[in-house]
Amino acid sequence: MRGGWVESGPLDDESRIDRAAAGRVVLRLGRMLRPQRSAILRAVFLLIFQTAALLASPLVVRYAVDAGLVGKSGRAINIAAVMYLVLAVTSALLGRSVIWAVSRIGEDFLRSLRARVFRHLINLDLGFFEREKTGRLVARMTSDIDALQELVSQGLVMFVQNALIFVGTLVVMSLLSWQLTLCTIIVVPPVIFASLWFRKRSNTAYLEVRDRVGTNLSTLQEGLEGVRVVQAFGREGGFIERFEETNEAQYDANIATVNIATRYFPFVEFIGVVGLAVVVGAGSYFADRNILEVGTVLAFVLYLNNLFEPIQQLSQLYNTVQSAAAALNKLFGLLDTPNSVPEKPGAIDLPLAGALTVSGVTFAYGGGPPDTDGVSHPLGPIVLADVNITVAAGERVALVGPTGAGKSTLAKLMARFYDPIEGDVSFGGVSLRDATRRSLRERIAVVPQEGFLFAGTVRDNIRVGSPEASDADVDAAVDALGLREHFESFPEGLDTEVRERGSRLSAGEKQLVSLARAALADPTVLVLDEATSNLDPGTELEVERALEALTQGRTVIVVAHRLSTAQRCDRVAVVADGHILEIGTHDDLVSRGDAYAALFAAWTRTE
Amino acid sequence: MTAETTEIIETAATKSEADQRTERDLAARTAGWRLMVEAVRPQKWWIVVGVASGFIWTLARLAVPQLAARAVDDGIRGDDLHLVLLLTLAMLAVGVVQALTTGLRRYCAFRIALRTETDLRTRLFAHLQRLHFAFHDEAQTGQLMARANSDLQQINTVVILLPLTAASMLTMIGVLIIMMMKSVVLAVLALGLLPLLNRAATRFSSRITPANLALQEELSGLSGVVEESLSGIRILKGFGAERLQVKRLDDAADGVLKQALRAAKLRAGFMPLIDLLPTLSLVAIIWYGGHLVLDGQLEIGDILAYNLYVLMLIWPLRMVGMLVAQSSRASAAAGRIHEILSTDVAVDDPPHPIPLSDGPGNLLFEGVSFGYGPGRLVLDGLNLSIAGGEAVAIVGATGSGKTTVARLVPRFYDANSGRVLLDGVDVRDLRVSELRDAVGIVFEDTFLFSDSIRRNIAFSDPGASIETIERAARLSGIHTFIQSLPQGYETLIGEHGYSLSGGQRQRIAIARAVLHDPRVLILDDATSAVDPSKEHEIRAALAEVMEGRTTLIIAHRPATIALADRVILLDGGRCIASGTHEELLASNERYREILARSDSTESSSLEGSE
Repeated sequence: MRGGWVESGPLDDESRIDRAAAGRVVLRLGRMLRPQRSAILRAVFLLIFQTAALLASPLVVRYAVDAGLVGKSGRAINIAAVMYLVLAVTSALLGRSVIWAVSRIGEDFLRSLRARVFRHLINLDLGFFEREKTGRLVARMTSDIDALQELVSQGLVMFVQNALIFVGTLVVMSLLSWQLTLCTIIVVPPVIFASLWFRKRSNTAYLEVRDRVGTNLSTLQEGLEGVRVVQAFGREGGFIERFEETNEAQYDANIATVNIATRYFPFVEFIGVVGLAVVVGAGSYFADRNILEVGTVLAFVLYLNNLFEPIQQLSQLYNTVQSAAAALNKLFGLLDTPNSVPEKPGAIDLPLAGALTVSGVTFAYGGGPPDTDGVSHPLGPIVLADVNITVAAGERVALVGPTGAGKSTLAKLMARFYDPIEGDVSFGGVSLRDATRRSLRERIAVVPQEGFLFAGTVRDNIRVGSPEASDADVDAAVDALGLREHFESFPEGLDTEVRERGSRLSAGEKQLVSLARAALADPTVLVLDEATSNLDPGTELEVERALEALTQGRTVIVVAHRLSTAQRCDRVAVVADGHILEIGTHDDLVSRGDAYAALFAAWTRTE
Repeated sequence: MTAETTEIIETAATKSEADQRTERDLAARTAGWRLMVEAVRPQKWWIVVGVASGFIWTLARLAVPQLAARAVDDGIRGDDLHLVLLLTLAMLAVGVVQALTTGLRRYCAFRIALRTETDLRTRLFAHLQRLHFAFHDEAQTGQLMARANSDLQQINTVVILLPLTAASMLTMIGVLIIMMMKSVVLAVLALGLLPLLNRAATRFSSRITPANLALQEELSGLSGVVEESLSGIRILKGFGAERLQVKRLDDAADGVLKQALRAAKLRAGFMPLIDLLPTLSLVAIIWYGGHLVLDGQLEIGDILAYNLYVLMLIWPLRMVGMLVAQSSRASAAAGRIHEILSTDVAVDDPPHPIPLSDGPGNLLFEGVSFGYGPGRLVLDGLNLSIAGGEAVAIVGATGSGKTTVARLVPRFYDANSGRVLLDGVDVRDLRVSELRDAVGIVFEDTFLFSDSIRRNIAFSDPGASIETIERAARLSGIHTFIQSLPQGYETLIGEHGYSLSGGQRQRIAIARAVLHDPRVLILDDATSAVDPSKEHEIRAALAEVMEGRTTLIIAHRPATIALADRVILLDGGRCIASGTHEELLASNERYREILARSDSTESSSLEGSE
């Protein structure tokens, strides 16, 4: 509307996009929209008809004036009034269809875009998620798609229609009287230039406002959070002064936007009067010379609005369109990010059982494709160098060693979270690279150390790894780990909502859920990353017992932080500096008196 | 009393409660309006200028179509083109006036509104800074932030809309008078439908708002699924369970689609209607006005002028509805702000303050009782005497009131009964600023400001010399660390700056209190986050700091307690034992119990603190 308000937010560098990129975005968008082309075509036709109805109204007025008023015909006036009415109602009905059709197309598109981006995102390799900040990825799925939503719901119809009205009006005006059109058109460039100036200046000014509002809010927040310290040291006065400064800075930035608007809006209003004066003055002159009829003058007066409003609206919508294009560009960037552990064409299922063999594996992080910002990450230092280890079916192996030695990385490679640079990891003789994703995760499951819970009940959470499992399956898994009693002590047993207030699960309980999850998924190989920190004493014992039950009869690779865990395994591998230093049973290694024996001695002292 | 009468009384009670609530709401709104009027009053000259320019603007705006109409009529008659030229020039002249006055009235409206918003925000902040601890204990920062941000914006908007709408109303009345002078019927036909426009716009906004809210809710549900999937990505990957979240997202996206289409349906229904209504007025003008022209009661130019008038009124009519809705939001917002501003500062200077004379820092608690709310007393008739220069450790179980003892000294709270005396003067008889100058405190939850380390240490005295600051830092055992930073004392800390460990933060907070150079120093669990291996470093330093001051130490580590000359054991809001650490350890079972308990909780919470 015509006020100091800007409908769309200011445009920052994040939401700008250059012409070449914009072109690519539009082309690709066109390809994506191809399945909807008949619906789009229909919407465009409706829009054209509606615009035609809008443009025809002043012609009816012209007829009413010339044939009716000047020609003194009551019948012509009645005809004109009926035509006007019909046009108005038609235009309203068409408008209704247009808004509905465009929204339908746009919202359907957004629906499929959301699904598509998310499917792509969630299926990317873990390395991608370790590189990217979660906040940025959330922004792709939220604020970026919301920017498109805003365009779809508010801007798109207006944008196209305003453009059509502007061009259509010029055409009709020229057809009615090129002389008067030439006179009228002189008011258009000033409005265009003023609007461009306004958009640019107000954008900069609003960015400044946004910054200063942010600063002011942080001062405010700090003043409130630190109020006790402020009062304890009697610094209220100083802090109020500091706030006054940022508050006045916010005021100044706001006044700067008012100053810009104070120049623009009166100017446009003035040009509006000039346009009217030109049409009326020149029109009357031409009418006097019999170059045109007076009805044309009235029609032109009505058309003037059609020239002014679109320019202003288009310049206001520019930001919305620009942000939407930039958002699409970023989304396409995400869709183009390849999976660095893809499923091979013609991949085969892993065998049901077998040994897990790591042979000659060398690995370094990085070196993958550039991230979504186009920043590439060069290959980092070597984390594992020529590592060999075979874990027999049903064997439990602990990986121990100092932080950063590569034991977690080795565990991740064994589950194909990454592919090695050199060497190979295979299960039952089949390389993990050749395996289907589905069979890979059915055989080899990874239980991370943090017991993250998803929204839903305890039962839902246990079912995360195997969504098709029945309630009875869940119960069986819980029983197998001896956890039934514990979960039944929750307010609503297994059906307790985990995120609800009052039913917060402790860290240990989260671990229990996580172990039950693994039991239900029932993988052949279990890769465990042990929690570093101590659990609450109440559940620690239970976690240990459940773990024991879970690992019974499975191939297990555990990244152990506590040597008591290592002690319980069949074999222990000491990882240091990217190599396996020692491997053997706990007792053998202790008696050998090397690295593991030293670790064990140090650990028993602190514990 | 029978059950029936109880029930009647109860329903009556709930009813009157509801009445009271609406009454309270009404009173809050009235107070809100009063606050807004009072806040706008200093801008009275701008208001006068704004109103005057709005009035002239309206007249100019009404005049333009009249001039255009006469020019067209003269053009048709074709007798005097000079007159057409004159009228055109007159239009331009009036246009200049219109532009100047519209600029002025808009500027005034925005300026007044922004000034009001800014002044109220400073006032609110200043009041919040002075409000007592108990108020801040109850209030949530987020809520207070909303008062100072979104609530003030509501006021800003209504202050902008008021004059703009007033000018629009004036235009409307002007148009009505002009049309009525020619033909009452035409005026009714042309303008009669326009109030419907207002109705439709209001109705639209009242229907679309819940739809948009529902859409927002669906969107936040969707972003919840995304956030959760990314936070739990390791689990999803570990089990290959991506499809589970894909299904959830599909459901959420379907929910969004449904609400978005619901909103679209409303827009499709209302927006063309809102555009249609003014067009119907134009049809009425052409039809009825056209026949009036044929009857000779109206000129062709008038048809033109009326068309222009109707176009002029479209926005004002929509705005009236906006103003009504906005007024209600703004008065409620202003009511909430008023509620804060009208909260009295409970801890304030006495009417006749006694100047604090020099003294050693004797502290005396005489029968002090205190509770944070009605109900349980935290301190229950506490008697305690601490000599100037003495270092006393206050020990007690959680909830025994040990922190409360410390908080009554600088009057963060006032005792319910009994007195706290500093060097023989009741702390309530002192000027608050003077009292707090004499007392320095290191809080348990260390709060540092987003600023340089230097300014954080020199918080109580921003003009302190760098030597003083360094001395305070050295005494707190943090100087060497600060110097090891690339930017030394100018290093920015806090949200966007260098992130410090808990122990480093505590030591900076200690330095802040040391620089304050108080008569009474309070260390409220001030070394809890300091790594035990480093604690001995600052223990030595603390001993130097405590020299010549009265020190209250609230601690549960034996090592810290050992800093004190004397230990006071609190239980149930009273002092139950007093003596040296060794004496109590030997003689007091409860003391041993409390120390043992805090020891075990501490070792479990130590993990990752530094």
